[in-house]
Amino acid sequence: MKILGIDTTTDVLNLAITINGVMSFDFMMKREGITHSAIMIPTLKNILRITEVRLNELEGIAVSIGPGSFTGLRIGLATAKGLAFSLSIPIAGVNALESYALRWKELPGILCPIIKARKGEYYFTFYKKRKNSDNLIRIEDYQCMDWFGIKEKLFKLDKSVFIFGYGLTEIIENNETNQYPNNINFIVRTKSRCYIIALIGEKKILKKKEK
Amino acid sequence: MKYILVTCKEALEKAGVILEDIDAIAVVNGPGLKGSLLVGLSFAKAIAFALNKPLIGVNHIEGHIYANFLDNKKIETPFISLIVSGGHTSLILVEEIGQHKVLGKTRDDAAGEVFDKIAKYLDLGYPGGPIIEKIALNGKKDAIIFPRPLTKTSNLDFSFSGLKTAVIYFVREKIKTKEKLQIENICASFQQAVIDTLIHKTLSAANKYNIKNIVIGGGVAANECLRKTMLETGKLNNIMVYFPSKELCTDNAAMIGVVGYYKLSKGFSDSFDLDVFTG
Repeated sequence: MKILGIDTTTDVLNLAITINGVMSFDFMMKREGITHSAIMIPTLKNILRITEVRLNELEGIAVSIGPGSFTGLRIGLATAKGLAFSLSIPIAGVNALESYALRWKELPGILCPIIKARKGEYYFTFYKKRKNSDNLIRIEDYQCMDWFGIKEKLFKLDKSVFIFGYGLTEIIENNETNQYPNNINFIVRTKSRCYIIALIGEKKILKKKEK
Repeated sequence: MKYILVTCKEALEKAGVILEDIDAIAVVNGPGLKGSLLVGLSFAKAIAFALNKPLIGVNHIEGHIYANFLDNKKIETPFISLIVSGGHTSLILVEEIGQHKVLGKTRDDAAGEVFDKIAKYLDLGYPGGPIIEKIALNGKKDAIIFPRPLTKTSNLDFSFSGLKTAVIYFVREKIKTKEKLQIENICASFQQAVIDTLIHKTLSAANKYNIKNIVIGGGVAANECLRKTMLETGKLNNIMVYFPSKELCTDNAAMIGVVGYYKLSKGFSDSFDLDVFTG
């Protein structure tokens, strides 16, 4: 199955193509002063060219439905809907926090993806790993709080916890995170994870087909 | 976002065409609200890209001008266009199809906006235009003399917030002195002040540029009193006046398609990096 993934959760445009559950290409770009709207289709065109996938070979569209930037998400979702409609292929919405967590699932501990929201708040949740399996279990609701609130929750944990996502640099700059307990770890590196969105989307689409 | 796909499907179904029959996609990229413009533009781009069809960005105000072409295919250029709605009050000189020059616009409230605000102030409901028009039928249009803003200047701009304030002050005064509020007369006189101003300015523009065609569009163009008075004025001055049918006055997508058609037939289309503009 050839799936196109679209992620406009943040100010980074992230597109990916997966073929039969394997990443074929994953591309991230951010350019100041240029909107997702202006570069979406030109970028998609290039990705199709590089992967030698023809548009009409796509069998599904997976798209991030947030939480995240409202403007960005609108562009991603409307593009996905337009493509899926024109190509008569299914569409699957994927939670962005889940895609972050799956991207870092090899980390040994509780996973805490966060995504910067407005007014100094952050969307977040916690995941833990199922025993002897790659699957993640979400152990809290999707929530939105300021850093003070999230910090309080983190400090209550006695196990290792890994925080990653979008908007972390600001948190680290504005808080004395180096004095936090040792079990609280920050992962600042940005990793493209749109192929994860495509893979989750593929699973969802296959499941629907079975039904 | 929730409705764009169902609406699109329904439009195709009602028109009896399939997506593959479509030759080009025309989409409004401004002016308007960024969030909703982006939904439409992104959706349109995706369809145009997937089906390999031309994409045509259309200015919303342009749409209101060309709504007239849906009913009257033979409107000769050059013409003066008055676009008057809840969001705009603009005079535009159209020298040729696709060539527009804005001659004047409102400095504050749009004409339709003032109808809404007065209706709200008088607790009459929303949208204000049709409600005030209906009540005005039973009132005297010369009962109260409200100001006709900027009609004594030579520029072609509009300003309606002063008129709005005048109406509000008038009502307040009546309440203060406990006189009976003659809502019918207030509505008729207020409506007349707006119409007189619109007609005066439009006619000034036509005279200034020596133009014999006037094309009106926008939600307020559905006002029967404006239509009647404008047509009469046109006749007196030997000017042809065009209005779209009432249902094409308010916001609609057919008018956007018309602009797309004219632009495309002139060989014009946009690239996929087209972006939205808000004001």
